This record gives sequence, C-alpha cells and structure tokens, in this order.
Amino acid sequence: MRLYEWLDSRLRLKPIRETLLDEPIPGGASWIYVFGSATLFLFGLQAITGMFLALYYAPTPDHAYDSIQFIEKEITFGSFVRGLHHWGASIMVVMIGLHMLQTFLYGAYKPPRELMWMVGVILLFITLVFAFTGYLLPWDQNAYWATQVGINMVGGVPVVGDFLVRVLRGGESLGALTLSRFFAVHVLFLPAVLIAGIVLHLFILRRVGPAGPWSDERAKLGSETFAPRQVYMDAVVMLALFMVVAALALTVPFDLADKANPSDTTFVPVPEWYFLFYYQLLKYVHGPFEPLVTWILPAAFILVVFFWPFIDRNPARNPAQRRTTMLAGSAFLMVVFGLLGLSLRDLYAVPRLDPSVAHGKAVYVQYGCAGCHVIHGEGGAVGPDLSYVADARPDREWHYRHFQDPQAMVPGSIMPSFPLTERELHDLTSYMLSLTQGR
Amino acid sequence: MHPEAEQNDSSGFYTPVGSRRKFFHWMTGIAASLIGVGLAIPLVGYVISPAFKRREQSWIDVGRERDLPVDKPKQLDYVTSLKDGWMETKAEKALWAVKQADGQVTVFSPICPHLGCGYRWEDSDRTFKCPCHGSVFDISGKVMAGPAPRSLDVLPTKIENGHLLVIYKEYKAGLPKAVEL
Repeated sequence: MRLYEWLDSRLRLKPIRETLLDEPIPGGASWIYVFGSATLFLFGLQAITGMFLALYYAPTPDHAYDSIQFIEKEITFGSFVRGLHHWGASIMVVMIGLHMLQTFLYGAYKPPRELMWMVGVILLFITLVFAFTGYLLPWDQNAYWATQVGINMVGGVPVVGDFLVRVLRGGESLGALTLSRFFAVHVLFLPAVLIAGIVLHLFILRRVGPAGPWSDERAKLGSETFAPRQVYMDAVVMLALFMVVAALALTVPFDLADKANPSDTTFVPVPEWYFLFYYQLLKYVHGPFEPLVTWILPAAFILVVFFWPFIDRNPARNPAQRRTTMLAGSAFLMVVFGLLGLSLRDLYAVPRLDPSVAHGKAVYVQYGCAGCHVIHGEGGAVGPDLSYVADARPDREWHYRHFQDPQAMVPGSIMPSFPLTERELHDLTSYMLSLTQGR
Repeated sequence: MHPEAEQNDSSGFYTPVGSRRKFFHWMTGIAASLIGVGLAIPLVGYVISPAFKRREQSWIDVGRERDLPVDKPKQLDYVTSLKDGWMETKAEKALWAVKQADGQVTVFSPICPHLGCGYRWEDSDRTFKCPCHGSVFDISGKVMAGPAPRSLDVLPTKIENGHLLVIYKEYKAGLPKAVEL
C-alpha cells in the first residue's frame, strides 16, 4: 500500500483507477455480462500458451511435426501447455458465441452501440482466421489435408479465386512457403490486428457505456460500479474456465495424426468442430450452384451480420417486442446446430480404427504372416487370400481357436501355430475381423 | 438498490460496502492467484525442462581390438547419432586408441585439453602434437611441453567379444583437472 501511495503521488494513478474500476453498469452487475471478459481471458491464455509453444516449435515442413512431437513427449508439461492452447481455442469460440448471443438477445447492438457490434464481428472473423492458420502448424495429415480443402474452397471465389489460392499457398502447392506464412500470420500479424481490434472494441464500450438490462424497471434501480462485484463475477468465471480448459488438456489426449504426406490422397481430414456446419453444408451442393453456396451465401450472410444494427431498425430491446428478430436468430441457430449435429453423426458413423486392430496388424507384420497370405495384393500366395476374410468367416471364436491350433479347425492345414500371447491372439483376431468389404 | 449497498458519494453510483465489499475483493484475489499459480508452475517447468537434460550416452563399437597395432596410436572413427532437441544428427569423431604390449587399450579424446584444438600423432618423434599452441604429449598422454594444463583426456572403454566399445565425452578445456561438460 505504501508503494502504491508512492507511485500514486508521482504518477497520479487515482483517476486511472477510477476510470477502470468505477465504470457504471446500468441495473447492476450480473452473471449474464461475463462472456466478454471470459473471451478476453481466453485470448490472454491463448497468447501466453502460444508464446511458450513457440519456444520449441519450428515452422518448416522438415521439423514442424517432429518439434510438436518433441513438445508432447520430451518437454515437462509440454502436452499440457499444448492442450491448453488447443482446448482454449475451442472454448474461446464457445465464449464468443455466448457473448454474441447475449448481445443479440439484449439488443445491445442497437444505437448508440452499432460500432461496437461491427468491431465485434470483425474480431470474430479474426479469431476464425487464427483457428484456420493455427490448424496447419502441427503439419500432420489432418493439418495438411484440412488446410488443402480450406484453401481449395477459396479457389471457388469468382474471378480472383486462383489468384487468392496462390497467394495463400505462397506458390503452386501447399508446402514450406505455406507453412511459414501461416506461422507468421498466426503468431505475428493476427495478434497485432486482434489486439488493436480489442482495444477499439473496449474504447467504444467505455465511450458509450454498457447497455445494461432491456427492461426499464431494472435499469431504474440505478447503476452499480464495475468493481468490485462485476470484477468478482468475471474473475470467478475466468477461474472456472481455466479449470475446464486445464481438465480437458489433462484428460483428453489430442494426439497427432501421421506426419503430413502430400502423396497420400486417401486421408480424410476433419476440420475443427466450429467449421463443421459449413463443411456439412458443402456436402449438399454440387455442380453450377456450388459457388453460390461456398461463396455468395456466406459472403451475403457475413454482410448481413456485420450491418445487422442497421438492418434491424426496431428500437425496442425487450425480446418480447422483437418477434421477427428472435425468429430469425433462432432459425439461424437451428440451421447451424442442425448441420453440426448431422456432421457429427456422419463423422462417428465412419468406423474409427480400433487400437486393438492396429496392434493386430502389427502382430501380423511381426510374425511374417504376409510370407504366405495376401491382403490387398501384398504378400505370398501360399495360404488363402485374407483381404476380405471376415466376410467369409465372421466368427470371432473360430479365428481365435484357429490361431491357437490351425489343424484343429482346418484338418490338414499346413499353417504353423505361432507362440501368440493372449493379447496378441485377441488383437490379431480383431484385425482379421476388420478385413471386410464394408457395408 | 441492494440492501447492503451504499451510494458512492463521488460518482453517484451504488457499490457494495463493508464486509460484502471485502468478500468480493478476496474472491477476486483468490481466483486470480489460483489461475496465476496454475499457469506459472507448468510454464516454468516447460521452459527449464530441456535445459538440464543430460545427453544419453551409450557404448559405441569402434572396431575390433585385434586390428589395433601394439604401441602405435591409431585413429578410430566414432559415429553416433546425436539428439539435438527434435533433430537427430550423425556425429563423427576421430578418437586416438593406443594398445599396450599387455593388450590394454587406452582411448584418448581427440580434443587438446588446452583450448580444444584437434591434435595429431607424429610418428617420427613418437609424440602427440597440437598445432594450435604447440602442446606436446607422449604416447601415454602425459604433457611433455607447451601450455596444456593436464594430460590427454582418457575415455571410458571396454572390450566385448573382441570389439572395442567407447563412450564419447567432452571435458572442459583449460583446467588442470578433467571436468566433464
């Protein structure tokens, strides 16, 4: 406190303190106002964890993947710090969504706060560009192919599509130049732009003041100072979010896929969940209307959202007096979440590779089974072709006993019995059962 | 207005007072500290963790023991893969091995203990000579002349199945005693 007084006597801190902490909140502090601060907190968390990740990250195709593996496996708390960054990004998008929803519901974008809304929409898109550029950096199969798809979508833009694609890639194909420019944009350019935007957003907030409740009765209660009650609510929410992100980082592993392999075209990338609704939308359009859905519709939508305060001219802020607006908002949410739901359903319908199948495959290689058996054209032709063995023999028990004693199941078989452990038997059987033509 | 809130004279807004106000201050402080500590501990560990990791050292086969001539130093190639963070590089060093008449093998680090130059064997006067500052060593590594503060550094060796195995180490230059880097 003495130090504070000493500083105050020289720097005259009191007015600054009053401006920062005594900001009036019409109708008093509320838990519904925390989402902006929550978003700001998560941005701070992203900035800090990002700086620390950059300590060990190398933005070149030669080393990017290895350097992330190094962070994951060799650095103390490495997977935790990376997990915070990964899950922090997702939670930040959630908080932006809630912040916008609250603003929309409370009509807080209405005059005189149109500019605050517009800057906010720009901040949302900067965040999404952050997500897109950050996704490439681990340089695994998912990163590579998801970015390939994302960039190719830009190619659908009329007239300038090809030009934009080349600029994004920094050349003809996705490679070293793409990675280094995505890295620079992600860690240098975007933070500068985003911070400037946040400053502007908050500057506008302090000039026009917070909107407060939509009902006049509650607003008549008078204004409460920002500190200490709103600060306390914001702080509690920040702590809760930190614990959620930390728990996700500790418990949900976020493993890398294989290292990016430009020649492996069989890989099916999955974008981040917040791009999934758009990804799903693209499945329903083909042919000449594709640019309409990939570009014209989103561009029109972005313009509508950006200029929304000028489109919605109804002066009322109470949702009960804004039927059309509420209907439009709900319809939008239903479409987005509907597409997200459909997309998730499709994703989980694709059978994921079971770890016991992967291990069984390794056992198959280890015991040299391919010396006698063919799977998809590879191996020797002494024993039966196993490419679709599960279609012919779908019975788990049969395989299990057959591996233990081939002659007991197939009299006269020349297949030797191998010294398999219990787990190897189980996993090899799982692998055999995975060899089907599919449904 | 809240029952325990009071008009703030200077601004005209209401604000909690007394123990209620204290509670909010404390809770804010606690939340901020928990986040700070929860972040600081992992991040400090994250920064310092590779700084004190020792390089793993293993025995490397440098050739057959019986290929070494007796009483005459021979330069052996030592090839190992070094891990430098996420990079693996092949490192090649040339070591000096001397076999005595009784079959004992001594392997010298190829780095002069004076200031770290590479030295060579001079067959004519049977000494190791460092070209940088003129240090001279005899076949057992002892300093004969020049500024070198200690004998040539001896590396750990063992012989297994007729093969000579060595662990490569580096020592600080310029000290009277060998201190491992």
